[in-house]
Amino acid sequence: MESLQQHESPKEYETWMDANRVLAAILDIGELLLESGAEVMRVEDTITRLCQAYGFLRSDVFTITSSIVLTVQMEGGRVMTQTRRVWTRQTDLGAVEKLNALSREVCARRMPVELLNEKIEMIRTRKPAPFILTAACYAVISAVFSVFFGGNGYDAVTAAVSGIVLCLSLLVMSRMHVNAVIENMLCSAATAFAVMLMVRAGLGMHPDKIIIGNIMLLIPGIQLTTSLRDIFNEDMIAGLLGLAEAVLKALAIALGFAFVLIRMGG
Amino acid sequence: MSWYVLQTVMGAVGSLGFAILFGVRDRKLIPITAGGALAWSVYLVSVHKIGTDMFMGLFAAALATTLLAELLARLVRTPVLLLLVPMLIPLIPGGDLYYMMDYFVRKSLHEFGAASKKVMTEAGAIAMGIIIGAYIATFAATLLKKVSVHHVR
Repeated sequence: MESLQQHESPKEYETWMDANRVLAAILDIGELLLESGAEVMRVEDTITRLCQAYGFLRSDVFTITSSIVLTVQMEGGRVMTQTRRVWTRQTDLGAVEKLNALSREVCARRMPVELLNEKIEMIRTRKPAPFILTAACYAVISAVFSVFFGGNGYDAVTAAVSGIVLCLSLLVMSRMHVNAVIENMLCSAATAFAVMLMVRAGLGMHPDKIIIGNIMLLIPGIQLTTSLRDIFNEDMIAGLLGLAEAVLKALAIALGFAFVLIRMGG
Repeated sequence: MSWYVLQTVMGAVGSLGFAILFGVRDRKLIPITAGGALAWSVYLVSVHKIGTDMFMGLFAAALATTLLAELLARLVRTPVLLLLVPMLIPLIPGGDLYYMMDYFVRKSLHEFGAASKKVMTEAGAIAMGIIIGAYIATFAATLLKKVSVHHVR
C-alpha cells in the first residue's frame, strides 16, 4: 500500500481502491450464485458481463465448484486479481433469480458500489424458510416418491414420518458443524433406523421403497446430472469435482442406511 | 393405466415440493408442477407407447422439459435453472442410485457394476437431453431475432 502511495498521484490511488471494491462486489455476486447452486457457466458468464458493465478492458474468470479466480485489466494497463474459496453449496433458486435480476439491472445501468453492496447484502441476509415449511416439504416429498417408486399408502405415511426425522436430523447436524460425509452418513442412518422401527411396528411394508422416498431428498441426483452436464459443456474440472463429490456423498448415504439395514435385517 | 396417471401426479407433486424447498415462492410453482408432469409423461409415452428403451425415454423427456423450461424462462424472464431443476426431479435416477449403493455395501459386486452402468447412462441421457435442448433453444432464439429484425426493416 505504502509503496503505491509513494509512486502514484492520489487520484490514481483512489481509482485503484475503487476498482478493488468493484471487483470485490462482483465476486460477491459470483460467490453467492455459486453457493446457491448456479452452474459454473452461468457464474462465469455473469461475472464477465458485470466486468464489462463496470468498464474493465478485459476480464478473465475461472470458476470451479469450490473457487472463483478473477483477473481484470484496467485502463492504464494495471492488472488486478481476486480469488474466492467457496465452501458451502445449498440449492437456493430464489437467490439465483434475485442475483440474476440484480446483475441484469447493473448491466443495463451501472450503479455505485455502495448501493450494489447494499443490495448484495440484502440477498445474502434473507431470512431462511420457516422450519415448519421445510419439514412439511420433506414429509410430502418423501411420501410422494415412495409411491412414485412403487410403494403403497402405508409406505407413504411411513415415509412422511421418516422424512420429518430426516429433516430434524439434518437440522441437528447443521448446528453441530460436522463434516459433510459424516453428516450424510448419520442422517441416512437415523432415517433408516426410524423406517425400520416403523416397519417392525407394522406401519410400512416395503422398507426399500420408503427409504428411496427419503433418499431422494439426500441423494446427489441433481449434482450427478449437473456434473455430467458440466463435462459435456467442457467444464472438465468442475464436472469431475462434482462427480467425485456426488459419488462420495452417495457412498456416505449408502453406508449409513446399509449399516442400519444389515443390523436390523432389512 | 391408472397407475401411470398416479405416478405422473406423484412426480409432479415431487417437483412442486422440491421447488418450494429450493426457495421458489411465487406463481412460477404452477408451470414447474406442470413441467414435472410433462417430464414423466413424455418418458412414459416414449417407453410404453412408442417402445423405446429407458435411456431414449429419459433423453426425450429431458429434451422436451428443457425446451419447455427455456421457452417459459424467456416469457417470464427468469433463469432457466429455476424452472428446469425442479421440473427434472421425477427423472432423477434416485431409485437406481439407491439400489446401486445397496449392492455396493452388500458386496454383490456383479450387480453393483450393472447398476452403476445403468445409473451413469441414465444421468448421461438426461444431461444430453438438457444440453441439446439448450442448444436448440438458443438457436431458435437467434433465428427469431434475425427474422424479427428483417420484418421491422
